[in-house]
Amino acid sequence: MTSLGTPIQGVTLYSFTRASHARQYDLDGLIRKVAAEGFGPGLEVIGFSSLRGFPDRIDDTFVGQFRDLVAEVDLVPTSLAVNVDTGIRRDRLMNHDELVEYMAKQIEVASRLGFPIARVQISLTPDAMESLLPVAEKYGVTLALEVHADQHGAHERVLALRDRYEKLDSPLLGFTADWGATVTGFAPSLLEAYRRRGASEELLRQVVDLWNGFYAEGPPNTQKVHGERFGAFIGLAARNGRPDLGIDFAINGTGLFGPAAVDTWLEIMPWVRHVHGKFFGIDENGEEPSVPVRGLVRQLVENGYSGAISSEYEGWHWNNWQDPFDIIRGEQAVQRSAAVNAGSAMITDAAEARRILNSHLAQPVRG
Amino acid sequence: MIADRIIEHGTLTTQDGRTAVEVRIPWYRALPGSCIAGAALTVDGVAAPEGSLRWTMNNRTFSFGELVDETGEWWFPLDSAVLSGDLPVADDQAEHEVRVDLKLYIPYIITDHGVLHIEEHDTKTMKVAQR
Repeated sequence: MTSLGTPIQGVTLYSFTRASHARQYDLDGLIRKVAAEGFGPGLEVIGFSSLRGFPDRIDDTFVGQFRDLVAEVDLVPTSLAVNVDTGIRRDRLMNHDELVEYMAKQIEVASRLGFPIARVQISLTPDAMESLLPVAEKYGVTLALEVHADQHGAHERVLALRDRYEKLDSPLLGFTADWGATVTGFAPSLLEAYRRRGASEELLRQVVDLWNGFYAEGPPNTQKVHGERFGAFIGLAARNGRPDLGIDFAINGTGLFGPAAVDTWLEIMPWVRHVHGKFFGIDENGEEPSVPVRGLVRQLVENGYSGAISSEYEGWHWNNWQDPFDIIRGEQAVQRSAAVNAGSAMITDAAEARRILNSHLAQPVRG
Repeated sequence: MIADRIIEHGTLTTQDGRTAVEVRIPWYRALPGSCIAGAALTVDGVAAPEGSLRWTMNNRTFSFGELVDETGEWWFPLDSAVLSGDLPVADDQAEHEVRVDLKLYIPYIITDHGVLHIEEHDTKTMKVAQR
């Protein structure tokens, strides 16, 4: 029997994009704020968001300052989110060798800054992941490919990666499970944002009904179905005299709120090395109304997961009326409560988190 | 998306028939010049001619044609870029309506129709300063 997991509490600075973009906090100030609020010990950073000059111009002075700061405030670097910018050139997509070189530079920075994981993205094929394994080994960094809506744990592209991982049998290849793949409702805070943009209650009801229908059908298993769903949101907006909202409905309805069942994560659970605790808001009852946070935490605990969960608040895109720090505080309280209800506890002590994370990442993925 | 922050308030300047405004990225992460696919600058309903538009970031100035191959200079989320173009704006105390349109490629999202691009715009009202 699998022993119960003890997930590590943490946060990604992405949650505070609106505050950092507004220059309310510089990187130093935001990391200090996260530590002071007790949102750690886990700390995740997006390289291209927070690090000026990433990845080519990260000098040793900056690396030293970053490491000193993280040590001073007693946080634990978990994941550096790196990007697979396949489409960076205007004339064509990057070829395989260019992509490997592009990723290697970012993975090296993750290592220098002390992040044991680099979050990579779905554009990497099984062949690309295999080519990056020597890079991961050189720098001692685990590559955790993010499974994000509109994919999910049982998607054919994800299963192809899993099968290659199984063949390669390295503890350095795995997944980041993003809870946005397994959402149970259209986020009420986004409906409120549309309301504030003049959307009628009737239109919002139809948006919810459309999404609920897709949820009942399950996630799209082909790009064709995904495209049809995307188009259905655009058509609905147009029929209701609000074509200006169509693309927004479609991007969020298909790309943020993935309708897969929670048990799809079981397909890849042994390879889950990191988790994005994606969520969109906290309601008046202190709960997340559209992401089944309690069930997802229970699933991780019962499957023996002792990696980090980075709380990832995505509602900042549209919610400009609530404080993201209050919202993160609320969501992490739900996570801690859920872990206790599952017979375990979230790790909030930094020293314990370091020990447990090292053990989690060192173990064989199928162990 | 943070489209309402594209135009930096109070940054409209003009000199010898060229007008400029500072702009912020409406996205959470840095993008290279090659992903800045197009822009428009309109003041009081008059758009600067497309060919006259220039983009300044990291102390370098580019035409939009030059940005196409520019993967070395990046627009960092905390930095203001400057969009300028041929557009006379009277030097008076009047409030001017400034509109900026931006087209950006999101290089890690590849759809069936190619690399995802987003089109965003912002409109703000402000006075103009002579440089």
